[in-house]
Amino acid sequence: MALDTSIPVLVVDDYKTMIRIIRNLLKQLGFEDVDEAADGTEALGKMKERRYGLVISDWNMEPMTGYELLKQVRSDSSLSKTPFIMVTAESKTENVIAAKKAGVNNYIVKPFNAPTLKSKIEAVFGD
Amino acid sequence: MSDMSSEHVAKIIDFLRNGRKAEDVSLEDVMRLAELMAESFQSFFKTMDLAIYTELGEMAREIANMKEELALLRLSDMRDEHIPTAGRELDAIVEATEEATNTIMSAAEEIMAADADDNDAYQALVGEKVIDIFQACSFQDITGQRISKVVSTLNALDKRITTLVEKLKIMRITDAAGEETASEKRARELMLHGPQFKGEGVSQDDIDAFF
Repeated sequence: MALDTSIPVLVVDDYKTMIRIIRNLLKQLGFEDVDEAADGTEALGKMKERRYGLVISDWNMEPMTGYELLKQVRSDSSLSKTPFIMVTAESKTENVIAAKKAGVNNYIVKPFNAPTLKSKIEAVFGD
Repeated sequence: MSDMSSEHVAKIIDFLRNGRKAEDVSLEDVMRLAELMAESFQSFFKTMDLAIYTELGEMAREIANMKEELALLRLSDMRDEHIPTAGRELDAIVEATEEATNTIMSAAEEIMAADADDNDAYQALVGEKVIDIFQACSFQDITGQRISKVVSTLNALDKRITTLVEKLKIMRITDAAGEETASEKRARELMLHGPQFKGEGVSQDDIDAFF
Protein backbone atom coordinates (compact mmCIF):
# COMPACT_ATOMS: atom_id res chain seq x y z
CA MET A 1 0.00 0.00 0.00
CA ALA A 2 1.45 3.37 -1.04
CA LEU A 3 2.00 6.02 1.61
CA ASP A 4 -0.83 8.57 1.62
CA THR A 5 1.11 11.82 1.26
CA SER A 6 -2.01 13.96 1.04
CA ILE A 7 -2.54 13.91 4.82
CA PRO A 8 -1.91 17.14 6.72
CA VAL A 9 1.17 16.90 8.94
CA LEU A 10 1.91 19.02 12.00
CA VAL A 11 5.60 19.53 12.82
CA VAL A 12 6.26 20.74 16.37
CA ASP A 13 9.70 22.09 17.25
CA ASP A 14 11.04 25.21 18.92
CA TYR A 15 13.94 25.40 16.45
CA LYS A 16 12.89 26.96 13.17
CA THR A 17 15.85 25.30 11.45
CA MET A 18 14.68 21.84 12.52
CA ILE A 19 11.14 22.59 11.31
CA ARG A 20 12.64 23.69 7.99
CA ILE A 21 14.71 20.48 7.74
CA ILE A 22 11.72 18.23 8.52
CA ARG A 23 9.48 20.23 6.19
CA ASN A 24 11.99 19.78 3.32
CA LEU A 25 12.42 16.08 4.05
CA LEU A 26 8.63 15.65 4.08
CA LYS A 27 8.44 17.54 0.81
CA GLN A 28 10.98 15.13 -0.69
CA LEU A 29 8.75 12.28 0.47
CA GLY A 30 5.76 13.91 -1.20
CA PHE A 31 4.04 15.54 1.79
CA GLU A 32 2.98 19.04 0.77
CA ASP A 33 0.43 19.90 3.46
CA VAL A 34 2.71 20.67 6.40
CA ASP A 35 1.85 22.97 9.32
CA GLU A 36 4.14 23.98 12.13
CA ALA A 37 4.01 24.86 15.84
CA ALA A 38 6.75 26.08 18.16
CA ASP A 39 5.72 24.13 21.27
CA GLY A 40 3.11 21.79 22.71
CA THR A 41 0.64 24.51 23.64
CA GLU A 42 0.57 25.97 20.14
CA ALA A 43 0.36 22.47 18.66
CA LEU A 44 -2.57 21.51 20.86
CA GLY A 45 -4.39 24.68 19.83
CA LYS A 46 -3.84 23.87 16.15
CA MET A 47 -4.91 20.26 16.63
CA LYS A 48 -8.20 21.41 18.11
CA GLU A 49 -8.85 23.54 15.03
CA ARG A 50 -7.76 21.04 12.40
CA ARG A 51 -7.57 17.27 12.15
CA TYR A 52 -3.98 16.24 11.33
CA GLY A 53 -3.06 12.88 9.85
CA LEU A 54 0.33 12.87 11.57
CA VAL A 55 2.13 14.81 14.31
CA ILE A 56 5.94 14.92 14.36
CA SER A 57 7.10 16.51 17.59
CA ASP A 58 10.28 17.41 19.42
CA TRP A 59 10.44 16.55 23.15
CA ASN A 60 12.29 19.45 24.79
CA MET A 61 10.24 22.64 24.38
CA GLU A 62 8.89 25.47 26.53
CA PRO A 63 6.33 25.87 28.00
CA MET A 64 4.73 22.56 26.99
CA THR A 65 7.06 19.72 26.05
CA GLY A 66 6.42 17.13 23.36
CA TYR A 67 5.94 14.52 26.07
CA GLU A 68 3.21 16.60 27.72
CA LEU A 69 1.65 17.20 24.30
CA LEU A 70 1.63 13.46 23.64
CA LYS A 71 -0.11 12.77 26.96
CA GLN A 72 -2.68 15.53 26.32
CA VAL A 73 -3.38 14.20 22.83
CA ARG A 74 -3.82 10.65 24.06
CA SER A 75 -6.15 11.73 26.87
CA ASP A 76 -8.40 13.75 24.53
CA SER A 77 -10.92 11.45 22.88
CA SER A 78 -11.17 13.66 19.78
CA LEU A 79 -7.40 13.59 19.21
CA SER A 80 -6.31 10.32 20.76
CA LYS A 81 -6.07 8.37 17.50
CA THR A 82 -3.70 10.86 15.82
CA PRO A 83 -0.45 9.15 14.79
CA PHE A 84 2.40 10.71 16.79
CA ILE A 85 6.14 10.44 16.11
CA MET A 86 8.65 11.85 18.58
CA VAL A 87 11.79 13.30 16.96
CA THR A 88 14.21 14.25 19.69
CA ALA A 89 17.76 14.45 21.01
CA GLU A 90 16.48 12.86 24.26
CA SER A 91 17.92 9.39 23.94
CA LYS A 92 17.86 8.05 27.49
CA THR A 93 16.13 4.74 27.97
CA GLU A 94 13.64 6.29 30.41
CA ASN A 95 12.53 8.77 27.74
CA VAL A 96 11.89 6.06 25.16
CA ILE A 97 10.02 3.90 27.68
CA ALA A 98 7.94 6.85 28.93
CA ALA A 99 7.03 7.89 25.39
CA LYS A 100 6.04 4.33 24.46
CA LYS A 101 3.98 4.05 27.64
CA ALA A 102 2.27 7.36 26.83
CA GLY A 103 1.27 6.01 23.43
CA VAL A 104 3.82 7.34 20.94
CA ASN A 105 3.73 5.53 17.58
CA ASN A 106 7.44 5.85 16.86
CA TYR A 107 10.58 7.50 18.15
CA ILE A 108 13.42 9.04 16.17
CA VAL A 109 16.68 10.17 17.72
CA LYS A 110 18.32 13.34 16.37
CA PRO A 111 20.36 13.67 14.26
CA PHE A 112 18.48 11.58 11.76
CA ASN A 113 18.33 11.23 7.98
CA ALA A 114 15.60 11.13 5.36
CA PRO A 115 15.46 7.31 5.05
CA THR A 116 14.97 7.02 8.84
CA LEU A 117 12.12 9.53 8.80
CA LYS A 118 10.56 7.78 5.83
CA SER A 119 10.83 4.32 7.38
CA LYS A 120 9.27 5.49 10.66
CA ILE A 121 6.37 7.20 8.89
CA GLU A 122 5.84 4.04 6.86
CA ALA A 123 5.98 1.93 10.02
CA VAL A 124 3.32 4.12 11.65
CA PHE A 125 1.00 3.70 8.69
CA GLY A 126 1.74 -0.01 8.41
CA ASP A 127 3.50 0.08 5.02
CA MET B 1 38.26 42.48 79.47
CA SER B 2 39.90 45.56 80.94
CA ASP B 3 42.99 45.20 78.73
CA MET B 4 41.01 44.99 75.51
CA SER B 5 41.33 48.52 74.24
CA SER B 6 38.21 50.60 73.89
CA GLU B 7 39.46 51.47 70.39
CA HIS B 8 39.26 47.79 69.36
CA VAL B 9 35.87 47.28 70.94
CA ALA B 10 34.61 50.39 69.17
CA LYS B 11 35.94 49.07 65.84
CA ILE B 12 34.09 45.76 66.26
CA ILE B 13 30.88 47.48 67.32
CA ASP B 14 31.15 49.89 64.40
CA PHE B 15 31.67 47.01 62.02
CA LEU B 16 28.67 45.10 63.32
CA ARG B 17 26.44 48.15 63.46
CA ASN B 18 27.44 49.52 60.10
CA GLY B 19 24.37 48.39 58.28
CA ARG B 20 25.60 44.84 57.70
CA LYS B 21 22.69 42.62 56.77
CA ALA B 22 22.99 38.88 56.28
CA GLU B 23 22.73 39.11 52.48
CA ASP B 24 25.34 41.89 52.33
CA VAL B 25 28.04 40.06 54.26
CA SER B 26 30.91 39.10 52.00
CA LEU B 27 33.87 36.84 52.57
CA GLU B 28 35.92 40.04 52.79
CA ASP B 29 33.65 41.24 55.65
CA VAL B 30 34.02 37.97 57.53
CA MET B 31 37.77 38.08 57.16
CA ARG B 32 37.88 41.70 58.26
CA LEU B 33 35.80 40.84 61.34
CA ALA B 34 38.06 37.88 62.13
CA GLU B 35 41.08 40.14 61.79
CA LEU B 36 39.56 42.72 64.11
CA MET B 37 38.62 40.08 66.65
CA ALA B 38 42.06 38.50 66.52
CA GLU B 39 43.75 41.90 66.97
CA SER B 40 41.41 42.85 69.79
CA PHE B 41 41.73 39.61 71.71
CA GLN B 42 45.51 39.68 71.34
CA SER B 43 45.76 42.62 73.70
CA PHE B 44 43.23 41.06 76.07
CA PHE B 45 44.95 37.69 76.30
CA LYS B 46 48.45 39.11 76.26
CA THR B 47 48.33 39.59 79.99
CA MET B 48 46.81 36.16 80.63
CA ASP B 49 48.61 33.62 78.50
CA LEU B 50 51.53 33.99 76.12
CA ALA B 51 50.59 30.83 74.19
CA ILE B 52 47.12 32.13 73.38
CA TYR B 53 48.62 35.47 72.47
CA THR B 54 51.03 33.77 70.04
CA GLU B 55 48.23 31.66 68.58
CA LEU B 56 46.11 34.74 67.95
CA GLY B 57 49.07 36.41 66.29
CA GLU B 58 49.40 33.37 63.99
CA MET B 59 45.71 33.54 63.18
CA ALA B 60 45.92 37.20 62.28
CA ARG B 61 48.93 36.54 60.00
CA GLU B 62 47.12 33.54 58.42
CA ILE B 63 44.10 35.69 57.64
CA ALA B 64 46.30 38.42 56.15
CA ASN B 65 48.10 35.81 53.99
CA MET B 66 44.81 34.35 52.83
CA LYS B 67 43.59 37.78 51.79
CA GLU B 68 46.75 38.27 49.73
CA GLU B 69 46.40 34.86 48.11
CA LEU B 70 42.74 35.51 47.26
CA ALA B 71 43.71 38.82 45.69
CA LEU B 72 46.26 36.96 43.54
CA LEU B 73 43.48 34.72 42.19
CA ARG B 74 41.95 37.82 40.53
CA LEU B 75 38.45 36.41 40.85
CA SER B 76 36.87 39.74 39.96
CA ASP B 77 38.64 39.56 36.56
CA MET B 78 36.80 36.32 35.93
CA ARG B 79 33.46 37.86 36.89
CA ASP B 80 33.91 41.21 35.15
CA GLU B 81 35.85 40.23 32.06
CA HIS B 82 36.47 36.57 31.24
CA ILE B 83 32.99 35.11 31.88
CA PRO B 84 31.08 37.90 30.07
CA THR B 85 33.53 37.57 27.15
CA ALA B 86 32.95 33.80 27.05
CA GLY B 87 29.19 34.48 27.00
CA ARG B 88 29.61 36.85 24.04
CA GLU B 89 31.76 34.24 22.24
CA LEU B 90 29.02 31.63 22.70
CA ASP B 91 26.36 34.05 21.45
CA ALA B 92 28.51 34.75 18.39
CA ILE B 93 28.86 30.99 17.79
CA VAL B 94 25.08 30.51 17.90
CA GLU B 95 24.63 33.44 15.52
CA ALA B 96 27.30 32.22 13.07
CA THR B 97 26.00 28.65 12.98
CA GLU B 98 22.44 29.89 12.50
CA GLU B 99 23.50 32.17 9.67
CA ALA B 100 25.51 29.42 7.97
CA THR B 101 22.66 26.92 8.36
CA ASN B 102 20.20 29.35 6.81
CA THR B 103 22.55 30.06 3.88
CA ILE B 104 23.12 26.33 3.25
CA MET B 105 19.43 25.50 3.54
CA SER B 106 18.40 28.35 1.27
CA ALA B 107 20.91 27.19 -1.35
CA ALA B 108 19.66 23.60 -1.08
CA GLU B 109 16.03 24.74 -1.31
CA GLU B 110 16.79 26.79 -4.44
CA ILE B 111 18.45 23.76 -6.03
CA MET B 112 15.46 21.58 -5.08
CA ALA B 113 13.02 24.07 -6.56
CA ALA B 114 15.02 24.72 -9.77
CA ASP B 115 13.78 23.59 -13.16
CA ALA B 116 16.09 20.80 -14.26
CA ASP B 117 14.70 20.79 -17.80
CA ASP B 118 16.71 23.86 -18.74
CA ASN B 119 20.07 22.14 -18.47
CA ASP B 120 22.39 25.15 -18.87
CA ALA B 121 20.48 27.35 -16.42
CA TYR B 122 20.21 24.45 -13.98
CA GLN B 123 23.94 23.75 -14.10
CA ALA B 124 24.78 27.44 -13.61
CA LEU B 125 22.42 27.67 -10.64
CA VAL B 126 23.76 24.49 -9.01
CA GLY B 127 27.36 25.72 -9.48
CA GLU B 128 26.54 29.07 -7.93
CA LYS B 129 24.68 27.54 -4.97
CA VAL B 130 27.44 25.00 -4.31
CA ILE B 131 29.90 27.89 -4.00
CA ASP B 132 27.49 29.56 -1.54
CA ILE B 133 27.45 26.34 0.49
CA PHE B 134 31.25 26.10 0.54
CA GLN B 135 31.54 29.73 1.64
CA ALA B 136 28.97 29.25 4.39
CA CYS B 137 30.94 26.28 5.73
CA SER B 138 33.84 28.59 6.56
CA PHE B 139 31.96 29.38 9.80
CA GLN B 140 33.53 26.24 11.24
CA ASP B 141 37.00 27.82 11.30
CA ILE B 142 35.85 30.93 13.17
CA THR B 143 33.57 29.09 15.60
CA GLY B 144 36.39 26.60 16.28
CA GLN B 145 38.61 29.49 17.37
CA ARG B 146 35.83 31.00 19.49
CA ILE B 147 35.18 27.64 21.17
CA SER B 148 38.91 27.33 21.99
CA LYS B 149 38.74 30.70 23.77
CA VAL B 150 35.70 29.60 25.79
CA VAL B 151 37.44 26.35 26.73
CA SER B 152 40.48 28.35 27.91
CA THR B 153 38.22 30.49 30.10
CA LEU B 154 36.57 27.40 31.59
CA ASN B 155 39.98 25.87 32.31
CA ALA B 156 41.16 29.09 33.99
CA LEU B 157 37.94 29.25 36.01
CA ASP B 158 38.31 25.61 37.03
CA LYS B 159 41.90 26.25 38.16
CA ARG B 160 40.98 29.33 40.19
CA ILE B 161 37.97 27.68 41.85
CA THR B 162 40.09 24.65 42.74
CA THR B 163 42.72 26.94 44.25
CA LEU B 164 40.03 28.88 46.13
CA VAL B 165 38.55 25.68 47.53
CA GLU B 166 42.00 24.57 48.66
CA LYS B 167 42.87 27.93 50.22
CA LEU B 168 39.59 28.19 52.10
CA LYS B 169 39.65 24.51 53.02
CA ILE B 170 36.03 24.34 51.89
CA MET B 171 36.36 20.59 51.35
CA ARG B 172 36.32 20.13 55.10
CA ILE B 173 32.84 21.53 55.30
CA THR B 174 30.12 19.03 54.45
CA ASP B 175 28.22 20.18 51.39
CA ALA B 176 24.76 21.34 52.35
CA ALA B 177 22.01 19.70 50.32
CA GLY B 178 20.80 22.44 47.98
CA GLU B 179 17.09 22.86 47.36
CA GLU B 180 15.86 21.75 43.98
CA THR B 181 15.07 24.76 41.80
CA ALA B 182 11.86 25.00 39.75
CA SER B 183 13.74 24.41 36.49
CA GLU B 184 15.59 21.41 37.98
CA LYS B 185 12.26 19.97 39.15
CA ARG B 186 10.75 20.48 35.69
CA ALA B 187 13.77 18.87 34.01
CA ARG B 188 13.57 15.87 36.36
CA GLU B 189 9.82 15.36 36.06
CA LEU B 190 9.72 15.83 32.29
CA MET B 191 12.94 13.89 31.67
CA LEU B 192 14.71 16.80 29.98
CA HIS B 193 18.25 15.47 29.77
CA GLY B 194 19.29 17.01 26.47
CA PRO B 195 21.56 15.35 23.93
CA GLN B 196 23.71 12.48 25.17
CA PHE B 197 27.36 11.95 24.28
CA LYS B 198 28.18 9.43 21.59
CA GLY B 199 27.61 5.92 22.87
CA GLU B 200 25.79 7.07 26.02
CA GLY B 201 22.17 7.19 24.90
CA VAL B 202 20.16 4.41 23.31
CA SER B 203 20.75 3.99 19.58
CA GLN B 204 18.10 4.24 16.88
CA ASP B 205 18.54 0.49 16.31
CA ASP B 206 17.77 -0.22 20.00
CA ILE B 207 14.71 2.01 19.83
CA ASP B 208 13.54 0.29 16.63
CA ALA B 209 13.91 -3.09 18.32
CA PHE B 210 11.92 -1.81 21.30
CA PHE B 211 9.12 -0.61 19.05
